[in-house]
Amino acid sequence: MDLLYFLIQQTLLFMIPLLIVALGGMFSERAGVVNIALEGIMVMGAFTSIFFINLTQGFMSGNGQLLIAILIAAATGIVFSLFHAIASVNLKADQTISGTALNMFAPAFAIFIARIIQTVQQIEFKNTFRIVEVPILSKIPIIGEMLFKNSYITTYIGILILILSSLVLYKTKFGLRLRACGENPHAANTAGIKVELIQYAGVLISGALAGIGGLVFVVPTSTNFNATVSGYGFLAVAVLIFGQWKPKYILFASFFFGFMKALSNSYASIPFLFALNIQSNIYKMIPYIATILVLIFTSKKSAAPRASGIPFDKMKR
Amino acid sequence: MKKLLSTLLALAMVLTLVACGQKQAATSGASASSNKETFELALVTDLGTIDDKSFNQGAWEGLVKYANEKGISHKYYQPQAAETNAYFETIELAIEGGAKLVVCPGYLFEEPVYLAQEKYPDTHFILLDGEPHTADYSTYKTGSNTMPILYQEDEAGFLAGYAAVKDGNTKLGFLGGMAVPAVVRFGFGYIQGIDAAAKELGVNCEVVYNYTGAFAATPEAQALASSWYNAGTEVVFGCGGAVGNSAMSAAEGKNQQEGKFVAKVIGVDVDQYSESDTVITSAIKLLSNSVYDGITMFYDGKFPGGKTTVFNAKNNGVGAAMDNARFNTFTKADYDVVYNDLKAGKFNIFNDVTESNPATALTNLSNTKVTFIE
Repeated sequence: MDLLYFLIQQTLLFMIPLLIVALGGMFSERAGVVNIALEGIMVMGAFTSIFFINLTQGFMSGNGQLLIAILIAAATGIVFSLFHAIASVNLKADQTISGTALNMFAPAFAIFIARIIQTVQQIEFKNTFRIVEVPILSKIPIIGEMLFKNSYITTYIGILILILSSLVLYKTKFGLRLRACGENPHAANTAGIKVELIQYAGVLISGALAGIGGLVFVVPTSTNFNATVSGYGFLAVAVLIFGQWKPKYILFASFFFGFMKALSNSYASIPFLFALNIQSNIYKMIPYIATILVLIFTSKKSAAPRASGIPFDKMKR
Repeated sequence: MKKLLSTLLALAMVLTLVACGQKQAATSGASASSNKETFELALVTDLGTIDDKSFNQGAWEGLVKYANEKGISHKYYQPQAAETNAYFETIELAIEGGAKLVVCPGYLFEEPVYLAQEKYPDTHFILLDGEPHTADYSTYKTGSNTMPILYQEDEAGFLAGYAAVKDGNTKLGFLGGMAVPAVVRFGFGYIQGIDAAAKELGVNCEVVYNYTGAFAATPEAQALASSWYNAGTEVVFGCGGAVGNSAMSAAEGKNQQEGKFVAKVIGVDVDQYSESDTVITSAIKLLSNSVYDGITMFYDGKFPGGKTTVFNAKNNGVGAAMDNARFNTFTKADYDVVYNDLKAGKFNIFNDVTESNPATALTNLSNTKVTFIE
């Protein structure tokens, strides 16, 4: 049983950043703008917020510091995604190219600035954010062990973001307009919706979430930030596709990816799995194979937003 | 609105560029102003500068130590970019500044030194952690004015593993980066050090062993280390750049969960005690010693140019960090004993790394069970 709890706790460390970033990608794509800059935005968000933690280390610690860092990460993500928004909404540029440019720019920028300021590119931080046990809630059988012990406040923030995202997307006027812009921006435009404005909002929300995702990714994994998020931004795109651009499926997809990741790295400590003698590469492969299978079987009625990736031009019909 | 926004953005970008430009101008100005004086001993830094807690700092400390003892003028030069041309130009700058001996820390200097040793036969070079060769690795050539230095990592790993077991740990782990020769040597030495100590104590040890395949801190590496600690592993040797930081992160998590110091980490290359409270010791290359020795030989007229010098325990080139160690019972005196034994050749360490799987390569283990995770 302890092993299962451990696996779930580890799964959460993989899953939460994927969940947050994939939800970010969802907002952008449902508004009709493909955002593959998620990786770069994660790097930037992690960069500024970890820098903040590094600078305030002496006199701040704990979850108060982490919450401010999260706000900084979100703000950075918004500013950085602004470039993508301008390129793809105002300038009607190819969204893939703009995203790729940002992905290439972000780590270089982070290394450059870190070296100028502190001569070393790794930004060290002290992790004072672990929650050993949440009072009262950790006493709930099973769930308490899984969710409320040895966790991070970011886990709960991730779940909160999931709930809010579903509500915003399906229960608000803004959500309806967002989805309309992703499916048929011209119809939306005819109905009096300012498509550019909605698309801006979509991209900036995805920037904020991806920025947070970068911080959430780095904090439990290392003791310093070395200008990389190890391709988790791209993984989040896979989660988004696997999750068919819908919050509840994204939750499932990120859990599935996270669980397989956790399993592939800790299977050696689980006696019956180690006895099976399956290479860790097999476990690592499964999520990707599953994504391809899902794409094959759903391609006929793919849930991808129809106008995603196509620059909106009022003049074109 | 649109115009205002784009103007603001453009302005912000220009300002950043200006700020960076000034900074660079300032550094190049500093190195240019040194033209009148001459400096006999020079160090050209690798990426980063002389307080990087790694290669540059170690090499610079060795150089300064000798220079201060003998009252020799010395100076360090920072290349403007991390590429062969910039490194080569900076070496030239150092030579124009009067350098007789140039210290080049890091394998990135292999190519610049290859070029410089031919063009400046009267200048001497010390190259750390590499051997001079051409850009395409087709020709290796060490001039008589060049002293390449390599390290015997297996002895450093041996000492760290030995110390960890002598300190009362029996379940250990090795979290390597890529299976490059240096990492594999560290790992093989580590296991054999564990076995040697286990034999002396009459205990049995278990080692879990993995190459993560990258030199990066990833959730994967963190999860792997966490799962080891969770299964009772006490010490993990994080061997491969930032991989160690993942091990430290995992150890900190485990310790906080348990409320006591049960999960420990061994650092690598330099003393990493400051990076985390979980680091009990580090398997280190004593860069400053080897640079100091190299310079000494140069001034004594015994410069060992033309051939690669290997630093190991015999010439105090490798070791386990004891100054800031966090051992329970293992003392500096204990360390000195095993270090002298190692020097005397009492331990026969297998360091052929053609096969990177220790479970099949190491056949001389008696008290240690190695579980290799692919």
